[in-house]
Amino acid sequence: MAWYMGIDIGSVTSKGVIIKDGELLAYHLVPSGSNYRAAAEEVKQELLARVGLSLEDIANTIATGYGAGNVPFASQQLADIICSARGINNIFPSARALIDVGGQYSQVIRIDEQGRVTNFVVSEKCAAGSGRFLQVIANVLRIDLKDIGPLSLMSRNPVTFTTGCAVFGESEAITRVSEGFSKEDILAGVHKSLADKISALVSRVGPEEQYAISGGGGVDIGLIKSIEEKLQVQLLVPPQPQIMAALGAALMARGQEVLIY
Amino acid sequence: MTKVVVMDKDESILACIVGPTGPEQRRLANKVMEEALQQAGLSFDEIDYVIATGYGRINVPFADRQITELTCHARGVASFFPTVRTAIDIGGQDAKGLKINDGKLVDFVMNDKCAAGTGRFLEVMADTLGLKLENFGSTSLKSTSKVKISSTCTIFAQQEVISRLSEGASLEDILAGLHDAIAGRVARMVQRLKVEPDVVLTGGVAKNIGVVKAMKENLGCEVLVPKDPLLSGAIGAAILGKELTLKALAKGEPVLKKERRLEEVTFFK
Repeated sequence: MAWYMGIDIGSVTSKGVIIKDGELLAYHLVPSGSNYRAAAEEVKQELLARVGLSLEDIANTIATGYGAGNVPFASQQLADIICSARGINNIFPSARALIDVGGQYSQVIRIDEQGRVTNFVVSEKCAAGSGRFLQVIANVLRIDLKDIGPLSLMSRNPVTFTTGCAVFGESEAITRVSEGFSKEDILAGVHKSLADKISALVSRVGPEEQYAISGGGGVDIGLIKSIEEKLQVQLLVPPQPQIMAALGAALMARGQEVLIY
Repeated sequence: MTKVVVMDKDESILACIVGPTGPEQRRLANKVMEEALQQAGLSFDEIDYVIATGYGRINVPFADRQITELTCHARGVASFFPTVRTAIDIGGQDAKGLKINDGKLVDFVMNDKCAAGTGRFLEVMADTLGLKLENFGSTSLKSTSKVKISSTCTIFAQQEVISRLSEGASLEDILAGLHDAIAGRVARMVQRLKVEPDVVLTGGVAKNIGVVKAMKENLGCEVLVPKDPLLSGAIGAAILGKELTLKALAKGEPVLKKERRLEEVTFFK
């Protein structure tokens, strides 16, 4: 009987989990800010406080994500793709592809029955298709990120964005506001644009039967609906889409899986 | 930006106006035209031919004809530099490469899908750094070791610039890096046309001496810049207007003109 910790320092949000016997005991999310080391420390402290343990009680910790190098108390760093795949496999063993929509980029990962990565593509060249685009538009419209999903579902006439570029998208959104389009229609338009980009990523790794979603995008019901419509599939949505990589890292820390990649 | 050029038959410029397009001007091409006529000291009836070009050319209801900006740019650039073979135009929201032979457009490449490699890239950086775009060029020339900007995406490059600043990189070195980034991206696009000299750079970004320098380095050849790099499209349009009129007159055909009335554009009738 032992406790394990997974820490995922994302470009926008840092997440952590503690598991015991494969069961999730606690999770915590904080903004990554500009000091990843401080974010990692904050996540660790909060997790330990919630379960009433000290760091010595944790048998092993694995760090992942963009800022994985800033977690001095981790024994090892693993790629977020590997950890997200492992995490989603734990929740949805039937998922064969994972669409991860993060703050900085999106990725599509193919997963085998054991939760191992068989193929993946990342949109890292550009903010198009990532949560960053949504953030830029939410800023223009002065909307809280968590309200984007519900608002967009009320759209009747989604705006069409001419390019996927987040910079041009920002000016287009401003123009549409001045033309009298509602924020609901603009948000629905952004979701369509993201779904188009993500669908292009999906076609690069090839079609699959069961898709799951993770990352901040998995919290946005409007984006989920847009992707489902575009791909003509039903997405498996975990209860906490943002912690999948951290959960996978903790499961890897438990080390029962044979790690051959 | 909206530009107006009024030209006589000897191709001397009688009036020239450059101003931001903005949402208002989009409707009010007539106002800009009035201003230009005033500057030239002419009445609208005295204008023989009006050609509208550019992204918003349909918003000029009083134009006798609309011609694409590619054709007009090619003509304008060839009038400044008759030996031009490659013209590169970097504007506020797109970048174009034109292949020109004997003053005629023969091929082109264009990017209007991604802000990187357009003037917009530098505008975003000016906002981020709190600097005036006009000062970018001269400041960047003081650079001793330019910062390498590895992100293509404007948004990611913006974050990169902030990180480099916080790491203590100098403004000069960052600006030189940004100029190299935009020039590199445009150069890669234009190379698809097989760049041949003479190479001419136009558009608002050509006013930035730092980009001109970086463009020379990236293309490995001399880059010429006209005196008014923003005006090549409008000047080309005026020259084409003159040529159309003279051709019609030479053939004894009537010049098809609209009624000379300055009105706002109406989109919905």
